[in-house]
Amino acid sequence: MATTATFTRPRRKALFRAQDATTESWAVRGLLIGTAVLFLGIFLFLPLAVVFTAAFAKGVSLYLASLREPDALAAIRLTLLTAAIAVPLNLVFGVAAAWSIGKFEFLGKSLLITLIDLPFSVSPVVAGLIYVLCFGLQGLLGPWLAAHNIKIIFAVPGIVLATIFVTFPFVAREMIPLFQAQGNEEEEAALTLGASGWQTLFRVTLPNAKWGLLYGVILCNARAMGEFGAVSVVSGHIRGLTNTVPLHIEILYNEYHFTAAFAVASLLTLLALLTLFLKSFVEWKSRQPGAPEEAAGGREGAA
Amino acid sequence: MSIEVRNITKGFGSFTALHHVDLEIPTGELVALLGPSGSGKTTLLRIIAGLEVADAGTVHFDGDDITDRSARERRVGFVFQHYALFRHMTVFENIAFGLQVRPARLRPPKETIRAKVHELLRLIQLEGLAQRYPSQLSGGQRQRVALARALAVEPSVLLLDEPFGALDAKVRVELRRWLRQLHDEIHITSVFVTHDQEEALEVADRVVVMNQGRIEQVGPPDQVYDHPVSPFVYQFLGNVNLFHGRVDDGQASLHHRAAPAGPNLPDHDTVVYVRPHFLEIHRQPNGGSHFRAVIKHINRAGPVVKIDALTEWGDLVQVELPQEKFRELRLSRNESVFLIPKEMKVFRKSAV
Repeated sequence: MATTATFTRPRRKALFRAQDATTESWAVRGLLIGTAVLFLGIFLFLPLAVVFTAAFAKGVSLYLASLREPDALAAIRLTLLTAAIAVPLNLVFGVAAAWSIGKFEFLGKSLLITLIDLPFSVSPVVAGLIYVLCFGLQGLLGPWLAAHNIKIIFAVPGIVLATIFVTFPFVAREMIPLFQAQGNEEEEAALTLGASGWQTLFRVTLPNAKWGLLYGVILCNARAMGEFGAVSVVSGHIRGLTNTVPLHIEILYNEYHFTAAFAVASLLTLLALLTLFLKSFVEWKSRQPGAPEEAAGGREGAA
Repeated sequence: MSIEVRNITKGFGSFTALHHVDLEIPTGELVALLGPSGSGKTTLLRIIAGLEVADAGTVHFDGDDITDRSARERRVGFVFQHYALFRHMTVFENIAFGLQVRPARLRPPKETIRAKVHELLRLIQLEGLAQRYPSQLSGGQRQRVALARALAVEPSVLLLDEPFGALDAKVRVELRRWLRQLHDEIHITSVFVTHDQEEALEVADRVVVMNQGRIEQVGPPDQVYDHPVSPFVYQFLGNVNLFHGRVDDGQASLHHRAAPAGPNLPDHDTVVYVRPHFLEIHRQPNGGSHFRAVIKHINRAGPVVKIDALTEWGDLVQVELPQEKFRELRLSRNESVFLIPKEMKVFRKSAV
């Protein structure tokens, strides 16, 4: 018995000492954790709770009625349409830009990277104004567009254009570091094996980058559906025609329809939660090795 | 298929990787491009493959100028140092890739591809691992898969860029012997890049020694080893001790001692290279080319005993001697002995 006691005691002591060496005292830990939790509570959880309590303040039936209202439905349809156009286009643009920047050396590369970041550094209001100045009635191409009866500003095309501009960097920014990190060797191998450029892109490069790509698309989509500033400038706020979900929420709020405003806002909040969930899922998935051990082992017998 | 490189020059910015390089590789040979890092060997290999474009010069396969053909059209098998296997594909899919990306009219039927892949899997002795992913293989296995993938398209030449560089020592030796055997079976014209002189001398039919963007010497391993044309080749192909000497009236001397077999050279300052196993240790002077040294360190591990000795003029030299000889002499640390160079290479100082 005595031997066991002398054996365990030093071990425990060593364990405590190791912990002491790498951590702070209880007071410091408590203070840091407390500050973080308080901050999160006030700035994230409280607003989240408020959105849903306000949305359901006058009962489920009013909540559902606010969503079924024709103007609300029109706004949801327009938002979905905008995202459905902007996200695929930015997927193509983003992959093209990232492919050229990540895999090739050329003159003006850093300029191109700066240009891709422009939408992040420009205020969304300015982004919207750019299009008004280009395509508006008093703008550069305005008279010509009016003569040919093409409406861009205060119409759906303008909203789509502004959304594409604002969400442009998401896919490219996600893909550039990934492409750079993966290097060119697999592409070179594909090339010497006789694959064409397209075959290399679709069979080698993109499958290797699929999780990064999905990550970029999720973030791009979230921003496309939630964009307010740029879209607000070019939309013209025509109810049932050029209002997206965020614009619709603002109008409802300004007209003191608080419950309806929060009901529609809860949709965007749910989108945000879904985005966060998907984002974490993709992050977790992309950390997995090329293929799960069991799956490969299971299929081996079939070969 | 024979490879010929004519007057190739290549620069990266202000750095010149290759200076007017000419090289001929006959059909069916296994050739090593050997040199230190930065000598241009990998660049030359990539230019032959079409992965890099030369600033000037031409590349010929069987006499045809293929300089303007893309890597895709050259039909070369290329093996990368870090394998470059497609990480999202199984071993089977990796090997089949080259056949599957062919245009429909040239693509073999599924069954043929399958048979071909399994034949190659047998060749690389990995038959059971067709459905594994590259991340589930060891380094040696991965490199063999990379080789099978390159061979699947029946390339006209096989190019290997430091194929064993990323493997641990034991696997490296096994794999390079295996490559030699494989080459004896399939006789495909092959070029491999290496910075390991042992590897080049053991595996290749011919060794091309490169330095600072130029070819120093080309020849069979024994010829390059025994008759180096430059100090660089001599000191790169094995361990050497460097001495300073002079030639006076056709008589070479090494630190004022007569050196044996003085080469027929005009008077000038020289550098003298002696390989560690060409330095003999004696307890008695031989009256001629001997010099004194004090033993500083003895390493007995391995087939030969390695000794570091401090010469009377204060340079540290390496000596290698067989275990038997070492036991016979009963040498110990800080003991004073006589060293006698048995064979040496004398080069003009300006050539170094």
